[in-house]
Amino acid sequence: MTTTPAPPTGGHVSRRSRLALPWAVARLGFQRQFAYPQAALWGLITNSFFGLLRVAVLLALFGTRPQVAGYTPQDAITYTGLTQAFIMAFSLFGWFDFMRVIHRGEVASDLLRPASLLGFWAAQDAGRAVGQLVLRGLPMLLIFQVIWGLNWPPGPLAWAQVVLSVLLAWACGFLFRFLVNCAAFWSPDAVGFGRFAWAVLGLGCGFLMPLAFFPEWFRALLAWTPFPGMLNTTVELWVGVTSGAAAWAALGTQLGWTLALLLLCRVTLRAGLRRLEVAGG
Amino acid sequence: MIHVEHLRKTFTTRTGRFLSAGRRTHEAVRDVSFHIPRGEIVGYLGPNGAGKSTTVKILTGLLVPDSGAVTVGGLTPWQDRRRHVARLGAVFGQRTTLWWDLPVIESLRLLRHVYRIPHATWQANLTTFTDLLDLGPFLHTPARALSLGQRMRADLAAALLHDPELLFLDEPTVGLDVVAKERIRDFIAHINREREVTVLLTTHDLGDVERLARRVLIIDHGQLLFDGDLARLQAAYGSQRELHVDFDGPVAQPEVPGLTLLSHEPGRATYAFTGAAADPIARVTAHAPVRDLTVREPDIEATIRRIYEGDLLRAGIR
Amino acid sequence: MADFRHHLTLYLRLLGAQIRSQGAHRTSFILDALGSLLITAAEFAALALVLPRFGGLGGWTLSEICLLYGLAELAFVLMDILFGGFDAPNLSAHVRTGSFSTFLLRPAPLTLQVFASDFALRRLPRVLLAAAIAGYGLTHAPLAAVPETAALLTAAVLGMICFFGGLFVIGGTLTFWTVDSVEAMNVLTYGGRTLISYPMDIYSAWLRRTFTYLIPAAFLSYLPALHLLGRPLPDGLPSWAALIGPLAGPLVLAGAFAFWRVGVRHYQGTGT
Repeated sequence: MTTTPAPPTGGHVSRRSRLALPWAVARLGFQRQFAYPQAALWGLITNSFFGLLRVAVLLALFGTRPQVAGYTPQDAITYTGLTQAFIMAFSLFGWFDFMRVIHRGEVASDLLRPASLLGFWAAQDAGRAVGQLVLRGLPMLLIFQVIWGLNWPPGPLAWAQVVLSVLLAWACGFLFRFLVNCAAFWSPDAVGFGRFAWAVLGLGCGFLMPLAFFPEWFRALLAWTPFPGMLNTTVELWVGVTSGAAAWAALGTQLGWTLALLLLCRVTLRAGLRRLEVAGG
Repeated sequence: MIHVEHLRKTFTTRTGRFLSAGRRTHEAVRDVSFHIPRGEIVGYLGPNGAGKSTTVKILTGLLVPDSGAVTVGGLTPWQDRRRHVARLGAVFGQRTTLWWDLPVIESLRLLRHVYRIPHATWQANLTTFTDLLDLGPFLHTPARALSLGQRMRADLAAALLHDPELLFLDEPTVGLDVVAKERIRDFIAHINREREVTVLLTTHDLGDVERLARRVLIIDHGQLLFDGDLARLQAAYGSQRELHVDFDGPVAQPEVPGLTLLSHEPGRATYAFTGAAADPIARVTAHAPVRDLTVREPDIEATIRRIYEGDLLRAGIR
Repeated sequence: MADFRHHLTLYLRLLGAQIRSQGAHRTSFILDALGSLLITAAEFAALALVLPRFGGLGGWTLSEICLLYGLAELAFVLMDILFGGFDAPNLSAHVRTGSFSTFLLRPAPLTLQVFASDFALRRLPRVLLAAAIAGYGLTHAPLAAVPETAALLTAAVLGMICFFGGLFVIGGTLTFWTVDSVEAMNVLTYGGRTLISYPMDIYSAWLRRTFTYLIPAAFLSYLPALHLLGRPLPDGLPSWAALIGPLAGPLVLAGAFAFWRVGVRHYQGTGT
């Protein structure tokens, strides 16, 4: 979790109290997800239905082939289950919360908090993501397990890598979403820009199709972007398409992109806030 | 113009969720009757949730009552919606009927087609209203960019372009400054006088009522508490006057025989009385040395508050 | 007749007002248009990019899938533009903000005003993309030489517009009672659109039959497409079933508007 430390506020702040705020914020973000259980239930039904259609398309593509690009039909089902499960936790269909706060001018009051703005939002989104994982993700996997049966990571090492990869995928994805939301500092029409970004994300992170199925040139292109690390890497580690040394390399790439995006976010946020001050927003 | 007989409306709200859901009924309007002749301005008053907006929704045809008879200009509002609404105008203070992103004039042009207003009528009305409401400076401004006062004026013009016989106004001056309020009240009085438009005015602003309405209807808990002249309301319920007294130093016993003590603090007291002030003043000055005293007349707001609070008999003086 | 002419011109005028309103926010309009275009483009590109590796989808080639996908998307986007006012989120917003009451206070037909209330012109680029995909399918797929091709294609698109329009109307009407139902209707509308974008023989029998006989979605484009490609219809259906299939759409729409009237009466009874 990327809990950035609070900026020095004069006195000596203990480590414990520095983490108290992000923890409280994350808990709040988590609890808030359970306010509308009925909507969550319907969302789960919708996700299941689309999962059903996506499984049918993938199985029809496989036909009688036992394996394509490292995926067996069972892997493809697992892929579908995982991607449907992570839709909400990773906000794959878009996230405009920070944008809204900027547009309403509420970001100024956010700045009054004795914590880093990015850290505050990261904590909140982490809580939200865990909440959605519990509410929508795990039930989705259970449904897939019951209907089709899932492939599970083979051993403790694979599990550890998957858990690590989920954390990095969330971090990477959150930072990307935050970066896109920062566009609101510069334009009142940033929502349209955001839609653009989510469409690219959907294709690039392997939500629409496993990236392994794409032509070589397209995969080479995507390898230069952070998108595969936001979902596809996690799926490939889970089903075992990526394993051994390649697994560590994939995790390293995710970490690299996370750090790069973190840096980019901080620079952009600083520039955005300066612009806000200049504009007197 | 408006005939309402034994109007009743009950709402059922679901409580709880899922299986534990129960039902609760709420009588929004119970057995309300009144008649409003053509050309009258009537103030319709009551606290929030008293049944005002339910009545207005029924009269405008938005809501169908459970029982009772309603005719507006000979039509039952909810049975012949399009013919009914063609003859009425409505302005709701909190929201606009103008197209948000379009210049005001374009909204007014669209309304000409919506109401099928003959071009000459529309043109004449537009000229009149532009003059009376001073719409000129912002006719070409999008509604979203108008100030509240400008928006209200534009909405009033929009509601009257088709020469309605009846105008519903809901909080037409809410949030406006004194000058803007006065301008809108003047306009309403004008169109009522010149065009014989019947006006039903719901408001919390008693200034609106005192300036415009001779007659008021007061509703609370779904029941009509008062229907009559504003002056009669004052005479019947507003007769409690107040005597504010500054004593010449602290007084041990503020109670004065024959007067009702409303409040007191060391050296100061307020009494309520009815009728002439001479006798109470004599009593107070006999009781203790007085430095200063004032008689305060009841205001209509206080009167109505007392009616709401149920100090006075429910039956009223219909 | 004069009434009809007046209503038609009024509808067009209200649409004009909608379009001019959208023009007031030009940048956001263009970005929205491109964004929604990109969503369809990405979805279709994902399928088109992986097809060569697999050689086809359950015996259907790329051009045949283009025909199905393009027709479904074309009809759905056109419907979305025309029926946007009935879409549950838009309609419930109108009810919440009071603009629905404003419609009721105007002496024009209620449905006309709702039809004219959310005309999302920003979806127009998607119409062009969908038409291009369908066009590619039509020119490259091995169509059987049947004289009724043009008529059947038109009927299929109109039928789908009516069908999905009907689902929008039903979904919008349900919000007079509860807004929790919005997600449930999404399964039918967006799920239904996705479902008929692919050849329906790839689905398990119960799913295909549900969306053939219970919800007549298969009749809209799948059966006509099978007919045009010279393939036999499923379940031993006679070939004329493909020709009258698109009628399922208008039937659903008529039912939906009957339900709409019930919903409006309910609204007027409770004044939500």
